[in-house]
Amino acid sequence: MKKVKYIPSGGLAFFEEKEMKKLAKYAKEGWILEKFAGLGYKLRKEESKDIEYSLDYQKEADDEYFAFFEAAGWSHVCSVGNEIHIFSAPTGTKPIYTDKPTTVEKYEREKKQMGKAALPFFISTVVFWLLNVFSSWEWVPESIGIFFQLLGMISLIILIFPGLPYLSYQFKLWKLRKE
Amino acid sequence: MGRNVSLEMGELTDTAYYILLSLVDAKHGYLIMQTIEEMTEQRFSIGPASMYTTIKKLLAAELIQLFDDHDPKRKTYIATEKGIDLLKNEVKRRREMVSHAEEVFKKRGEQLI
Repeated sequence: MKKVKYIPSGGLAFFEEKEMKKLAKYAKEGWILEKFAGLGYKLRKEESKDIEYSLDYQKEADDEYFAFFEAAGWSHVCSVGNEIHIFSAPTGTKPIYTDKPTTVEKYEREKKQMGKAALPFFISTVVFWLLNVFSSWEWVPESIGIFFQLLGMISLIILIFPGLPYLSYQFKLWKLRKE
Repeated sequence: MGRNVSLEMGELTDTAYYILLSLVDAKHGYLIMQTIEEMTEQRFSIGPASMYTTIKKLLAAELIQLFDDHDPKRKTYIATEKGIDLLKNEVKRRREMVSHAEEVFKKRGEQLI
């Protein structure tokens, strides 16, 4: 019988709650999260468990950070780059975030970081697009216009990767503040 | 931006209020959680992520300080003088808020239990 299974992630920045519920459902069927694998998760077949998963973002998490979770009944499952952390606990354990100000901060931190990554590509996309518009003037060779257009496209494609999560966090914060 | 807004305004979130209150005497993280749960008869509890974030915030605002970090897993903290002052002001502010409500209900002849 197969012991290990890889499943794709729907994107943690977009579907965090859904993803955690999906993992909990797998755990009930005995497929327990072992670690992140590429753009998905590696699950291992064990006995069925009634657990919940929670995700936190914390850069440079230290021993104390993990000790707090442990003390509250949340065991550390896996992390990416000591920044994205997944914890699991028996269903019904009290949540890792218990108030709104700190929950807002979680997404503020991520938004800021994505914003920082997105900004240079946002600027270059705009600049190349403007250069492309200006180069449609008659005295500019057509090849230069195409060149700028190409650079603009490349910038835009790169921009999507931090840009979409940025918008997703922005939306999440907007919803949180409206509650 | 965002990070210390409520602290700069001199107001404490409920989480920060209880953490600061339990750090009038030095304690480590887990004991802070336990103390608060006992104090409030389990009515108020703080999740580990909220706890960690709030402690970092209180440290940055110099309302608490490290007391002992021999064991990195069990760092102990204690409220600073600034922290105690803010806490006292906060208690006063909240007491006033409660007494305003009591007056209003008293006038209406309703009793608050």
